[in-house]
Amino acid sequence: MDPQSLQSLIGIAQILLVLIFGLVCVNLYLVFRLKEIDPFAKWNPHQINGTLFMVFMVVGTVAAFVSTGAWSKHFILINDPASEHGKEIDFMFDITTVISVFVTVLTNALLFFFAWKYYSKPGQKALFYAHNNKLEVTWTIIPAIVLTALISYGIINWNKIMGDAPADALEVEINAKQFDWTFRYPGPDMLFGETKVSYINEAESNLLGFNTADKSGKDDIITREIHFPVNTNILLKIKSRDVLHSPTLPHFRVKMDAVPGMPTSFHFKPTVTTAEMRERRGEPEFNYEMSCQQICGGGHWNMRAIVVVETMEEYQAWLKGQSSDKPYFVERENGAVTSETEANLTLNQ
Amino acid sequence: MSDMTAHTVHNGNGEDHSHDHHHHGNFWTHYVFSQDHKIIARQFLITGIIMAAVGVLLSLLFRIQLAYPETAFPFLETILGKWAPGGQLDPNFYLALVTMHGTIMVFFVLTAGLSGTFSNFLIPLQIGARDMASGFINMLSYWFFFASCVIMLASLFISTGPASGGWTIYPPLSALPQAIPGSGLGMTMWLVAMALFIASSLMGGINYITTVLNLRTQGMSLMRLPLTVWAFLLTAIIGVLSFPVLFSAALLLIFDRLLGTSFYLSDIYIAGELLHYQGGSPILFQHLFWFLGHPEVYIVLLPALGIASEVVSVHSRKPIFGYQFMIGSMIAIGLLSFIVWAHHMFVTGMNPFLGTVFMIFTLVIAVPSAIKAFNYIATLWRGNIQFNTPILFAIGLVSFFITGGITGIYLGNAALDIPLHDTYFVTAHFHLVMGSASAFGFFAGVYQWFPKMFGRMMNARLGYAHFWLTFLSLYLVFFPMHFMGLGGVARHYYSNTAFSFMEVFVNLQTFITFAAFLGGTAQLLFVINFFGSIFFGKEAPLNPWKSNTLEWTTPRNPGHGNWPGDIPHVYRWPYDYSKPGIKEDYLPQHIPDEEVEYEEGFPKPATIPHREVSPRRVAEEAAEE
Repeated sequence: MDPQSLQSLIGIAQILLVLIFGLVCVNLYLVFRLKEIDPFAKWNPHQINGTLFMVFMVVGTVAAFVSTGAWSKHFILINDPASEHGKEIDFMFDITTVISVFVTVLTNALLFFFAWKYYSKPGQKALFYAHNNKLEVTWTIIPAIVLTALISYGIINWNKIMGDAPADALEVEINAKQFDWTFRYPGPDMLFGETKVSYINEAESNLLGFNTADKSGKDDIITREIHFPVNTNILLKIKSRDVLHSPTLPHFRVKMDAVPGMPTSFHFKPTVTTAEMRERRGEPEFNYEMSCQQICGGGHWNMRAIVVVETMEEYQAWLKGQSSDKPYFVERENGAVTSETEANLTLNQ
Repeated sequence: MSDMTAHTVHNGNGEDHSHDHHHHGNFWTHYVFSQDHKIIARQFLITGIIMAAVGVLLSLLFRIQLAYPETAFPFLETILGKWAPGGQLDPNFYLALVTMHGTIMVFFVLTAGLSGTFSNFLIPLQIGARDMASGFINMLSYWFFFASCVIMLASLFISTGPASGGWTIYPPLSALPQAIPGSGLGMTMWLVAMALFIASSLMGGINYITTVLNLRTQGMSLMRLPLTVWAFLLTAIIGVLSFPVLFSAALLLIFDRLLGTSFYLSDIYIAGELLHYQGGSPILFQHLFWFLGHPEVYIVLLPALGIASEVVSVHSRKPIFGYQFMIGSMIAIGLLSFIVWAHHMFVTGMNPFLGTVFMIFTLVIAVPSAIKAFNYIATLWRGNIQFNTPILFAIGLVSFFITGGITGIYLGNAALDIPLHDTYFVTAHFHLVMGSASAFGFFAGVYQWFPKMFGRMMNARLGYAHFWLTFLSLYLVFFPMHFMGLGGVARHYYSNTAFSFMEVFVNLQTFITFAAFLGGTAQLLFVINFFGSIFFGKEAPLNPWKSNTLEWTTPRNPGHGNWPGDIPHVYRWPYDYSKPGIKEDYLPQHIPDEEVEYEEGFPKPATIPHREVSPRRVAEEAAEE
C-alpha cells in the first residue's frame, strides 16, 4: 500500500474511533438516565476535588521541574551569554529565579495543600479567624525587603547597561525597514556620512538616503551581515525608515526598538566569537542571529540577519572585502551640493 | 427613570412602583432596552460569552499555524478563502487573528464581559439599592458596547481584513495602510469600535461609582461592603480615569490617519514613497496607550480578585482573611497602577532614566499583590471547604495569580526585560496572571451567581469537569511558553522556522496547540451547562450557598426594583461565617442583632451592640418628614 492511502486510512480510522467513543458516551449517559442510575452517587465532591488539587500540586510540580530540565538546553537567553553585560543579566536572572521558584512552589503548595486538608467533612467547623495584623505586616515587609533588594540590583545593572557608551566604542548602524536589515560601517574615516529619509532614492539604490554632498559617507560600508570584532565595545545606532522594528540579538542580551524619526542606540561588548561558540555548543553550523521583536507587518517573522563575532584581524579582513562603492555619489568640489541631491530633494517632495 | 431614582432613595416605600415596572414593560422595554440592572448584566454576560467564543476560536486558528507552520490544511481555505491560500494562513491574516484575539479578549470579554456583568448585577443587589443611579445611562452603556461589538466583528469580514497591528496598535504600523492591509478600513473600524467601547465603559463606570457612593442601604457603611463591591468601585474609578486617555490616543491616531496630522509619525519612507509626516513621535502613542493599557490590566483583574474574595470566603465557610488589608491592597494597586505604565516600554527608546522610576513602582506593586495572594491562602487555612464549582475556579485563579504574577518580577526589572521583552515569556506571564486568572474570576462569578441570575442551578458535575479540564489545559498551554520565551522565541511570529534558535521549539508549539484545543473544547461543557441550565436547571433555593450578602434576600426572580418590600437594612460586615456561638455557620448582613439565633447554651451577649446609623440617613429621613 502506498504511504498516501495508508495515511488516509489511518485518518479515517481515527475519525471512526472518535465517533465510536462519542457514541459509547452518549449510550452510557442515556442508559443511566433512563434507568435513573447515578453512577457517581457515592462520590464525595469535596473529597474528590480536594484530593485532585493535591494530586495536581504533586504531579504539576514534578512535571514543571522535569520539563524545564528537558528544555533548558535550548534556553539561549540564560545560557552562554556572549556579551559582557549578558553575564550580569544572567546572574540577576538566576537570583530572581531562585527566589521566585521558591515563592511560587511554596505558595502554590500551601494553596493546594489547604484545599485538600480542609475539604469539608461531616462535623468539621471552620475556624473564625478574620485577621491577624502581625501576619499581614510580616507578609508585607518580607516581600518588600526582597523586592527592594532586587530593584536595587536591577537599577544598578540597568544604569550600567544604559549609561553612555565608552568613547572608544566602534559604531555600527542598523537600518531597519520592512522586512530586512541593512548595516552600515563608517569606513576608514570612522565617520558616518549624513543620511536622511527624505534623500532615499530607490531608483538609484540610495536605500539609506545618503546626502551625496557629505563626502564622509562615500567610504561608508553597507552590508547585509553584521560583524563585530570580539572584546570590543560596540555602539549600535538604530534607525527605521517605515514602522517600528526591534533589532534583537538574543545571544548578546541586546534589544532596542528602531523608531522612525528617532534614532536609538545600544552599546555592548561581545565576548565570544562565533567560532568559539560553535565549539562550545558542539554545533559546527551554529550562527548568532538577529531577529525583529516588535510586530512590524507580514514579514515580521522572517527578518533575519546573520551576526558574526570574530577576531579583530578577521573583522578587518571582512570589512575590506565589503564594497563601499556607491554610484549615487558623484565626485564634485568639497561641500558643493550635487545635482543628484537636488534631484533627490525635488523628487521626494 | 426619575421615579426609579426617587424610590431607591426613599428605600422604604418602593413596593408598588417596583411591581408596576415589572408588569408594565413589554418585550422591548423588558428584555431589550431594559433599564433594569439585572437584565443589563445578563445582556453583558451573554454578549461577553459570544465575544469570548469568537476570541477563543480566533486563537485556535492561529494555534494551528504555529503548530504546523509549513503544513497546508485545505479546510482552512474552505472556511477562510483568500486568507488561507492553499490551506495555509496568510502572514498578514495571522497578525490580524492575533490582533483581534487580543482586542476581543482584553476589552470585550475581560473588561465588558466581566466588569459589565458583575458590576451591574452585584452592585445594586449587594449594597441594597433598587437599581443603578441612572438606569438610562446604564442601558446606553450596554447598547454602546453592543454597537462596538458589531463594528469590531464586522471588521473581520472586510476585504482588507481587520486591524493587524497587535492589540496595542502601535503606529506607524497601525497608521499606514501601506504597511499592512489591516491598517486600512480594518483599523478605522477598530478605532470607531473602541471609541464606542470607551464611551460605554465610561457610562458604566460613572454609574457604578455613583451607585456605590450614594445608594447604599441603611447600615451599609463602606467598611461593610462585600469585597466584590470594593473591587468594582475601584475598577470603575480606575477605568473612568484611564479610558479617556486611550480615547485621546485613538483620536490623535484617527487625525494622523485621516487628516494627515503628524502626532505619531515622522520621517517615513514606505512602499517607494516618502510621506509628508514630520516631527511626530511613535513613543508618544505608547505612553498614551499604556497610560490606559496598564491600569487596564487591573481593570480586568480587580473584579476577578473581588469575586474570588467573596467566593473563597463563602465556600470555605470562613471570613475572608484580612478584610481591611484586602481593601488597602486593592487601593494601593489602584493607585500604583497609574504610575507603572512605562514598564511596557523599557526598550522602546524611551529615556533610560524613566526606566529606573518605572521599575521601582512596578516592583512596589508586587507587594499589595502578594498580600492578596497570602490572604486567600490564609482564608482557606482551617476552613470547612465546600467544593462547589465557584471555589474551584477561585482557587485556580489564586494559583494563576501566583504563578503568572511571579514572572512579573522578571519583566518589571528593566535589565532582565531587555532579553525577555516581546518574547513568549511575556505571553506566558500575562496570559496566566491577567488572562487565565480573570477568566477564572469570570467563571467563578458565573457559577456563583447563576442561581440568582436565572433562578436555576448549574450542573455541578459538568462544572467540575469544566474546571479540571480548563485548569489543566491552561497550565499546559501557558507554562511551556516560559520555555519558548527563555529560548528567545519572539511573539507575533507567523512561523518559528526562520531562525535556528526558534526552530527547536516547533514541537513544543504543536504540544501547546493540542492543549489549547483541549481547553477550547472543554469550554463546550460550560456553554452546554450555561444555556442548558437557564432552561432545564434545577430550581435554585433562595440562598444556595448560605451566603451572607444581600443579593440572596431577594425573591427567586426579583423584578425591577429588586426587593418587593422594603430594602433590608444591614447590621454587620458580610463575612461572619462560622462565628462562634452562632447557630448556623453563617450570619447574613440583614439579620438584626436581636434576631440572631445562638447555639444552645451559648450565652447571649448581655448588651446588644450599638447599631450604626449613618448621620446622612438620619438627616435624609428627617428631611422626608
